[in-house]
Amino acid sequence: MSDLKISHLYKNFSGMDRPVVNNVNLNIKAGELVALLGPSGCGKTTILKMITGLFQPDSGDIILDNTSLLPIVTEKRDVVMVFQNYLLFPYMNVNENVGFALKMKGINKDKIDEKVKDMLELVKLPDIGGRKPKQLSGGQQQRVALARALISKPKLLLLDEPLSNLDAHLRDEMRELIITIQQKLKVTTIFVTHDQEEAVLLADKIALIFDGKLQSYAPPKEYYECPINERAARFFGGVNFLKSTINNLNIETEIGLIIYNQKNKNDLLDNHLLAIRPENIKISKDNIFQKNCFSGIITSIIFSGTNTRYKIKIKDTILECSVQSLGIKGISENDKVFIYLPEDKLWGMNE
Amino acid sequence: MSGDRLKIILSLTSPLLIIITLFFGGIFYGLLQSLGYQPAIQKYDINFDAYYNVMFSERYAKLFWTGLGLNLWVSFVSTFLAAAFALFGALAIRKTFFAKTFCNFIYSLNLPMPHLVVAIGMIFVFSQSGLLARMSSQVGLIGSPSDFPILVKDKYGLGIILTYVWKESAFFFIILMSVLQSLGENFEELAQSLGANKWQRFRYVILPLIMPSLFSASIIVFAFSFGAYEVPALLGISYPQMLPVMAFEFFLNPDLNARSEGMALSIIIAMIVMILVIIYFWLIQSKIRKN
Repeated sequence: MSDLKISHLYKNFSGMDRPVVNNVNLNIKAGELVALLGPSGCGKTTILKMITGLFQPDSGDIILDNTSLLPIVTEKRDVVMVFQNYLLFPYMNVNENVGFALKMKGINKDKIDEKVKDMLELVKLPDIGGRKPKQLSGGQQQRVALARALISKPKLLLLDEPLSNLDAHLRDEMRELIITIQQKLKVTTIFVTHDQEEAVLLADKIALIFDGKLQSYAPPKEYYECPINERAARFFGGVNFLKSTINNLNIETEIGLIIYNQKNKNDLLDNHLLAIRPENIKISKDNIFQKNCFSGIITSIIFSGTNTRYKIKIKDTILECSVQSLGIKGISENDKVFIYLPEDKLWGMNE
Repeated sequence: MSGDRLKIILSLTSPLLIIITLFFGGIFYGLLQSLGYQPAIQKYDINFDAYYNVMFSERYAKLFWTGLGLNLWVSFVSTFLAAAFALFGALAIRKTFFAKTFCNFIYSLNLPMPHLVVAIGMIFVFSQSGLLARMSSQVGLIGSPSDFPILVKDKYGLGIILTYVWKESAFFFIILMSVLQSLGENFEELAQSLGANKWQRFRYVILPLIMPSLFSASIIVFAFSFGAYEVPALLGISYPQMLPVMAFEFFLNPDLNARSEGMALSIIIAMIVMILVIIYFWLIQSKIRKN
């Protein structure tokens, strides 16, 4: 198990108008599974490649177990990366692919064979050692790539978009396998993804990166409950934002007064934003709510299979509300409805 | 038969007819001549005399076998060296934009240059009366131009090899650059993160990945250098003499009887190349079956 400390990491490529990685700091504890999450081009893969040594940072340091990795060449870092498209060597069979790292270390063939067997059992593919990569499914290729990466017991495992090439069914299977193996081997793991769902499903902690800058580093739940800013909230599916001002003990918003008692109430500036996730808004045809209750008109209803989304116009503001499954019976477009914004689900952000 | 299929067959018929008539017709007629069938001089018997004469007669055997040896030497060495230069050149410069652009430009100039022009250039530069010999003599590196080592018109075919290496390395370079660029750097980066050093990455990753393209290009270059006439004719000597030059001299012989020997030699050259190509395809097929 290894601790990783990334401090003041900075990287700029010539011809770019902004640094790709801009003063990123991260402390990853031994055995943690951390996601680097952000949109395409935000610098997350560049961070991964700097950790492996494939890119050199312009400044900053990467410290693994109290030793700076920067003077160490990639092949000696004990940091292994699994690429997005698996990259199994097409001219080698599965056994040869998995044993590659040990062969490079000059370990004898019998020992390699033994370890390869163990690794293939670990990834639940014990009988495919003789096959070539093209004879494997996408999920199998991913498992072989994982076995190949883990065989040399790296101090740090890096995964580049580990689930993005798999279909929904395989994603679940692979997610479980990654978590099981990671917990069994207790290898510190960082993975890169642009998919917030993938990050939430896999990671102990998520480092959210926009434009090369670390926005927030927190457990997945915090991104839903108390996002750091509007962009972070939007990235995790937030759509309801109310411009607000502080009015004595309450908060004045564009839809009316709102009672707000979250822990950051005293930190909010005069002008700020209140956010609430669509699934946290309660909706009813009758006025059954006591406080933080507003009336509005349904402007659209969209059924998406697992839930039903309502757009409700309150004064000049549209709020989105999501209800599981088929939604609420008896509510149609242009109907008047009442909504309730629960105090503990509202979150204020200084923007 | 569907309309589409008929259209395809009809559109392929005329080019195929031309190819079959010119290629197989020529081969067939050449084969007949090599077997002694020459109606122009009232020779109608079919025999292997020309093959025997070329390969085993007291008059030509030595010339043939030394020529074959020289042919194999020149073709193997020039193919290997051209491939090696191009490979190391491509690996060295593929990541540097300026060097890549510069080399692409130089090689793009080299590719359309006729072999004959390059061969003449070799004489101008590398012969004992050439530019390099004179300059070396002028700056005192050698006493006189005649002290310059014999690099053209020598018995080891060095001038011929130099010409082919210069010309064909451009062909290899362009093929390898395109293969390397399409492969990208991910496989190497992956191998590096798995602990492979520079040599191991070349040996276990790059080489196996580019080998099919390198091998195919080598077959083309080998076949060309084995059967080409003009460079050995310009830069070779009369003994040992490469087989295409020898064949051509048979054709130039005013005695029409010698034409059978010329044709036999041409067929032998073609057969050797074909056998090598068949071996290549057999190797590829067995590899595919194995996989």
